[in-house]
Amino acid sequence: MIAESGHYALVLALALALIQSTVPILGVRWRDPALMNVSRSTALAQFMFVAVSFVALVMLYVTSDFSVVNVYENSHSSKPLLYKITGVWGNHEGSMLLWVSILALFGGLVAAFGNNLPLSLRAYVLAVQGWIASAFYLFILITSNPFLRIASPPIEGRDLNPVLQDIGLAVHPPMLYLGYVGFSISFSFAVAALLEGRIDAAWARWVRPWTLVAWIFLTLGIAMGSYWAYYELGWGGWWFWDPVENASLMPWLAGTALLHSAVVMEKRNALKVWTILLSILTFSLSLLGAFLVRSGVLTSVHAFATDPTRGVFILLILCIFIGGSLSLYAFRASALKQGGLFAPISREGALVLNNLFLTAACATVLIGTLYPLALEVLTGDKISVGAPFFNLTFGPLFLPLMIAVPFGPLLAWKRGDLLGAAQRLTAAGIAALLAVAMLWAWTRGGNAFAPLAIGLAVFVIGGALTDLAERTGLFRVPFTTAARRARGLPRATWGSAFAHAGVGVALIGIVCETTWNSEYIGSMRPDDVAKIAGYELKLEDVTQRKGPNFSEMLAQFTVSRDGQRLSEMTPSKRNFAARASSTTEAALLTNGASQLYISLGETAADGAIAVRIYYKPMVLLIWWGPILMAFGGVLSLSDRRLRVGAPKPAKAARGLQAAE
Amino acid sequence: MTRKQRRLTMIGGSLAVLAVAAALVLNAMRDSIVFFSTPTMLAEKPVAAGKRFRLGGLVQPGSLVRGDNLAVTFQVADGSAALPVSFKGILPDLFREGQGVVAEGALDATGVFKADTVLAKHDETYMPKEVADALKKQGHWKDDYGAKKPDYSAKPAAAAQGAPQANQGVSQ
Amino acid sequence: MTLWFVFALMTVAAIFAVLWPLRRAGRPQSEGSEAAVYRDQLGEIDRDVASGLIGSTEAEAARVEISRRLLAARDSQDDAPVASSVRLRRSAAMLALIGLPIIAVATYLPLGSPRLGDFPLAQRARAPDAAQPFENMVAQVEAHLEKNPTDGRGWNVLAPVLARLGRFDEAVRAYRNSITYNGDSSERRSDLGEALAAAAGGVVTAEAKTEFERAVAMNADEVKASYFLGLAAEQDGRGSEAASIWRAMLAKAPPDAPWRPLVQAALARVGGAPVPLPGAPVLSNEAMAAAKDMKEADRSEMIRGMVERLATRLKQNGDDVEGWLRLVRAYMVMGDRDKARSALGDARQAVANDEARLRELNEGLKNLGLDG
Repeated sequence: MIAESGHYALVLALALALIQSTVPILGVRWRDPALMNVSRSTALAQFMFVAVSFVALVMLYVTSDFSVVNVYENSHSSKPLLYKITGVWGNHEGSMLLWVSILALFGGLVAAFGNNLPLSLRAYVLAVQGWIASAFYLFILITSNPFLRIASPPIEGRDLNPVLQDIGLAVHPPMLYLGYVGFSISFSFAVAALLEGRIDAAWARWVRPWTLVAWIFLTLGIAMGSYWAYYELGWGGWWFWDPVENASLMPWLAGTALLHSAVVMEKRNALKVWTILLSILTFSLSLLGAFLVRSGVLTSVHAFATDPTRGVFILLILCIFIGGSLSLYAFRASALKQGGLFAPISREGALVLNNLFLTAACATVLIGTLYPLALEVLTGDKISVGAPFFNLTFGPLFLPLMIAVPFGPLLAWKRGDLLGAAQRLTAAGIAALLAVAMLWAWTRGGNAFAPLAIGLAVFVIGGALTDLAERTGLFRVPFTTAARRARGLPRATWGSAFAHAGVGVALIGIVCETTWNSEYIGSMRPDDVAKIAGYELKLEDVTQRKGPNFSEMLAQFTVSRDGQRLSEMTPSKRNFAARASSTTEAALLTNGASQLYISLGETAADGAIAVRIYYKPMVLLIWWGPILMAFGGVLSLSDRRLRVGAPKPAKAARGLQAAE
Repeated sequence: MTRKQRRLTMIGGSLAVLAVAAALVLNAMRDSIVFFSTPTMLAEKPVAAGKRFRLGGLVQPGSLVRGDNLAVTFQVADGSAALPVSFKGILPDLFREGQGVVAEGALDATGVFKADTVLAKHDETYMPKEVADALKKQGHWKDDYGAKKPDYSAKPAAAAQGAPQANQGVSQ
Repeated sequence: MTLWFVFALMTVAAIFAVLWPLRRAGRPQSEGSEAAVYRDQLGEIDRDVASGLIGSTEAEAARVEISRRLLAARDSQDDAPVASSVRLRRSAAMLALIGLPIIAVATYLPLGSPRLGDFPLAQRARAPDAAQPFENMVAQVEAHLEKNPTDGRGWNVLAPVLARLGRFDEAVRAYRNSITYNGDSSERRSDLGEALAAAAGGVVTAEAKTEFERAVAMNADEVKASYFLGLAAEQDGRGSEAASIWRAMLAKAPPDAPWRPLVQAALARVGGAPVPLPGAPVLSNEAMAAAKDMKEADRSEMIRGMVERLATRLKQNGDDVEGWLRLVRAYMVMGDRDKARSALGDARQAVANDEARLRELNEGLKNLGLDG
């Protein structure tokens, strides 16, 4: 009953999505408000039915109904309740259902809170959402139906892949999906604008919150996924340039570019055509990610078990949506009115520069991800493109971007003053140089690159602070005035300062972790002591324990420094009987932003265990950075005010007029 | 600056960035790309010692030898050919004899593959795709790896083999 | 019936969602417009100036720009109040009333299984499903052993069951545990060897052979182990050694040993002369014979099932020469020459396009004593 109701609800959602994707468009064509309004109620109802369907699947997992193939294949009655629930999206079918649920959720939100939109725009946006939803409902029902049944159900399920039985998994895919799917809204707005043949600053105002929400979730999702890989895979790595990671990074890069170009559009009515293109590309890259993960063309830890028909189906969806929207763009973009003017040295100019570098970086990631596939198809050679490739391409492109970040917010709209901005950044520059000099002295030679990179990061953070200080007039006006101004400052300004500082923070973490990471690999017996980065780790004992659906080997370490006992660490290795496989649970000891990391390898015949110990200085900054960025995003999102980009009028411009 | 000049500046700037990106990509393509090979492919098309590549195949059962201080050696085979591999470090959780593996490293002068990374991140429904492809081509593919259609009966697939039929008679 | 009732309710709700907005003809009051955004932006400039965030000259420039946009937006806005046409609304309503249920039912029926109720585990554990008593039991024993892994008796019970279910890897583990907790014995060793060989797809691996050798060392009359040692020799290509092992078995065996025909068939396979039965069968107790027949029937049923599965698998994928040979051999052991011959034909057909495989097949058939 639950299973079949869920199945039927999904089918009804498809039927509603089909109506949602046709009737409102006809309504706009024939200027019929009642038909246009159908979009709203169908979007809400569609969300309701998908939600019913999703909840039904969750209940099937909770009650361990193994008459449902999907539950049988991915669950086990002895699994803890939490992992029964998260197991719902730990597999292809369930995660697709989550995907469309989120898609319908966003559609429902636009329907519910889109009162400020013109009727025809809302009808178009929801109709485009309806197209996307219909395509994915069909995909789920035909190739990946989670509600298929077994007539004589087995008594026990096959369990979820143990690597995926982790709290990191519970939150990271839904976050990522909220990000990927959230960009469908800006895609729908872009296609709606092309269909209407009309676009202006107001459009950017309407899209802004949706893009921001998607970006915040994608940022958090990527950070969480990276942290999950860091402690669960047991190698101490946090980014592998794995194709699936790239698939999430590409929409993030394009989405970040979109966020910035939409600011230009909202405030200055410029870069309109470019913003539309970015909206389309961002969602296209999200779809591409879905294709890469689910079609089986790629090898990855994250890849789902695959089936060729699925790949073909997703490829079809991909071609229709990307091809269709890009051709629509090619036909209609020239009809859109061109936007405002600005000088190359201006806030707009800086944002264009940001867009250029972000999209170029995104393109290199795309090439690095797809080139092996193309080569295999063309020549049959199999190659792997790994970290060295991305370090050589992505890194050099990010460097100038980071230098430019602090300048952007300090330039005036329309025509800016580069020298003036540079003068105001003197303090940040001095801080950066001091950081470089201190690190240089401290590491004495060593890697010359690391201090410079950290100096750059300090410059970015300093730049963000300078921006805030400039706007509030701190140090120039009395403190109380500055404080009053700080309160009056738009939250969006605070938001961008936080987000930029977050980039700097993450960069510090990345550089420290990669440069000054120390590592100990060896086999240890009880009472052996390993020394690393001034810490002494003594293996006290090795014990066995039973968990709910696994048995576990625990190793107890005492950590001391200079003879003083600090703490205990207990890494473990878990064996899952149902899948006859094991996972490594790393133990982490946090000290400030730095971490000690222990993971266990196999046990030798003589009782010694292979042990990997890392000391990772400042490693947590890698994830604090994105959290800061997301916090900046939330601040910006909470800013309900309208945004105005007051231009610097020509007669008032001083100084570097010649730059124009 | 006229409208046209501004536009030209923009386009020029964009092209410059794109050119830099393209140059970076081409440069990186030349140096940092690793090819994939299997022992059989190596026999046909040898790779020079010292050149990095990825080696894929099945870990030959019975070939795993653990030495001192986490050093291990094993053979990677793909049917007709096998290659000795040496590695120092911790093997991944899912490394097993008879299972698929991908190792990255280079051949040394004696023809031993010195691996610095060993990947075996697969479960029963997953095996490194390169390995699966290479084995498929040589007809060493067991259907169980693909796990295309789950069989809902109690997995009799392996039971339909010669000896078990015979020994049922003996065991009674 | 209740399920269909729920479906009907859901369908009605969906139709209602489409019909709801169609009931009104006019434009809704709550509608945004571009002009509203620009008016708000103008208001924002005043607030920014008041709080000292932007200078007055910049504010003036911004006002000019936004006013320009405001005018443009006003021009393009269509203020004509458009009323909905009744005809359009009717056709949309018809679409919802007829189209929606048709789409839903037409999609659901081929995919869904409306007759199947729910099977939550809790409910099934209370009232064990009649169709699954056996697997239920296995799962229960497994769960018990998961908690009490040192229960040797449990492993003893579980191991052969697992082997019968074809879960050979688990059976191997169970036999090992059984040996650990129940002590070593020749039977357990040879059972373990059998499971190992089965897990290896019927090949007596070195690991399995070691177990059989241990079993024979403990008890030289261990029938199963001896048989498998012969099989190992045969698989290694030492036919004469296999023949001598089997011949020795037959010589020692009681005349009514149930495995006699099997070993004889094996012996025939490697070309050894059959050992004549010493004396006539001495079957005295009728009841015992009946019981044995039962067992025999059971057993052959099982063997037949396995052969059947092998045959189906080969039908799907005919490339497996080994498999074909095994099938032919199995039919011969079962005494079904017709089937063996037809399987032979099928095998030739399946590998006809592959020179190497055909040769392999013919050679194998020669070894089986059938001419290629």
